Amino acid sequence: MFSDETLESVRVESVWRKSQQGAQQSKSCQTPAVSSGHAGVQTGSRVSSSTQTEPQQQDHQLENLNGPDPPGLVDFLRRVEELLIKELLKNSRSHAFDGFQANWTEPSQHVSHLHGLQHAGTQEQGLHVSAVSWSCTGSVIACAYGRTDDGDWSNQKSCVCLWNLDRRSLRPKQADLVLDVPAAVTSVCCHPERPALIAGGLYNGEVLVWDTSRTQDPVLAQTGMSADSHREPVYQVAWVPLQKKGEFGVLSSSSGGGVLLWTVDPDQGRMVLSSAYAFVRQQVPHSSSLKIRGSSTVGVTALALSPWDSDTFLVGSEGGLLLLCSFSSQIPAAVAPEGRSVTPRAPTVFSFRPSSGPVHSMHCSPFHRNLFVSAGTAGLVHVHSLLQADPLLSVRVSDSYVFQVQWSPSRPLVFAAATGQGEVQIFDLNRRSLRPAATIQDGAPGQTATCLAFNGPNPRLLAVGRSDGTVGIWQLSSDLTEPGPNERLQLEQIANQVAE
Amino acid sequence: MDGVEETLKRIESNASVAGTIVLNSEGVPIRSSFDSGTSSRYGREVSEITALARSAVRDLDPQNDLQLLCIRFNKREIIIGAENNCLLIVFKNLPE
Repeated sequence: MFSDETLESVRVESVWRKSQQGAQQSKSCQTPAVSSGHAGVQTGSRVSSSTQTEPQQQDHQLENLNGPDPPGLVDFLRRVEELLIKELLKNSRSHAFDGFQANWTEPSQHVSHLHGLQHAGTQEQGLHVSAVSWSCTGSVIACAYGRTDDGDWSNQKSCVCLWNLDRRSLRPKQADLVLDVPAAVTSVCCHPERPALIAGGLYNGEVLVWDTSRTQDPVLAQTGMSADSHREPVYQVAWVPLQKKGEFGVLSSSSGGGVLLWTVDPDQGRMVLSSAYAFVRQQVPHSSSLKIRGSSTVGVTALALSPWDSDTFLVGSEGGLLLLCSFSSQIPAAVAPEGRSVTPRAPTVFSFRPSSGPVHSMHCSPFHRNLFVSAGTAGLVHVHSLLQADPLLSVRVSDSYVFQVQWSPSRPLVFAAATGQGEVQIFDLNRRSLRPAATIQDGAPGQTATCLAFNGPNPRLLAVGRSDGTVGIWQLSSDLTEPGPNERLQLEQIANQVAE
Repeated sequence: MDGVEETLKRIESNASVAGTIVLNSEGVPIRSSFDSGTSSRYGREVSEITALARSAVRDLDPQNDLQLLCIRFNKREIIIGAENNCLLIVFKNLPE
């Protein structure tokens, strides 16, 4: 059934290869040989040389200083010794130059206007100059801008401008440094020893310290809006020496009825409340003529420190009170603590005869420990003794307000007052008639002179700030800056007289 | 017989004297109670002004010569003894 079968192999030729083979062609091509060559170049020689001088002068001098005695030196010294000793003894006995101060400046007869400073941005905004302060070197003037005409809370930005008058190219229209401040600045005070530090008080109650040597953020410390800080406009700030020598705190006064003493903590950028003082009418020792009326807190408008007694400060109030106060008082004030970390104390020691309106300015005499001046809305400047309730002397300065009054730093009998009519009146108590010795007026009348500052290191300069945003720098005449021979004696007489 | 140091000590023992500098004829300090920087600064300035003062004295009277020059600063006084171009500067503190 099954049998082997051998099948013939079938051969099929590839049709594909044949058709492909037909299309194939072979070609060849060749480029001629590329010839290439290498070449190198190199300089083989290099020269370096250097030179140096040795500081030989020093050795030379030391050699000289310790060298052997040159010939003749002993003889020279011996001859000159007798003469020198004689002269030394004569000199130490002589009183020829006692109290002599060389004055190399040219005497001037006139009060002259040196500079008119203004900052462009502030004038457009209609800001007033609210305070001026000279740095401790006397070359930089700090001008605070704010408003003195309205009592509204506002968010208007403001600034503190600084001009260095000793700069070679003073630009009166462009401040050397502008410190931007988010609220109106009401007061400014330069540090008494460190020229870069400036304290300022704001309308919103904040107290700041700027360090102008810091380029990034000039704010060194601020109170911020803490429970400790003022809640009413700060009227005045001042640097106060603290117990540790060389350290200063900032004293600020506010219409909220408080005077606060702050220490600066630069590491945390904060002002730390150190003492609080509150004024309550019931705790103010008053003379019989003073009637108690109105609210019980006393809004502090003016502040003055005594250069003679670091424990004493003077306070002027919105109601016209003039109070002598002591930093070391321990009597607790009869006010609610208001969440402050420090219990407020009642510092009042003595009350002077109150003036009829708000006290705008007070200043202690730099030449007599008992004298101070005060001024306010009544247009009068009162010269007071710390020992008497009644003023020793009342001078009518203006028919308008008096915004600031300050004693001259060089002449014991001279003070200047900035008035609401725009004039600055300079009085010399040496003249028996109580008329101004000089009147400074520039710019349009009706532009209030809001502040002034004598320059301590250079008493010939007086800065006057105005409500039109300009600051005038005036050079005073020689008779207003150079003290007479027995001026201190006259001041002593004024201080010792008994008020009428 | 006392030498240079003893003489200088004697001058410096005076209560008001703060220090001394001795300059040679070239104005280079050869004895000083101050550091070398201060000494050479004073040496330069003082020898210049002394030369001026001496020429003024001689112009006025050729027979005469400068003996002593006192310069009073705000806080101190220097007394300069001069002879043959050698200078002794004595620094004197003023009483407050």
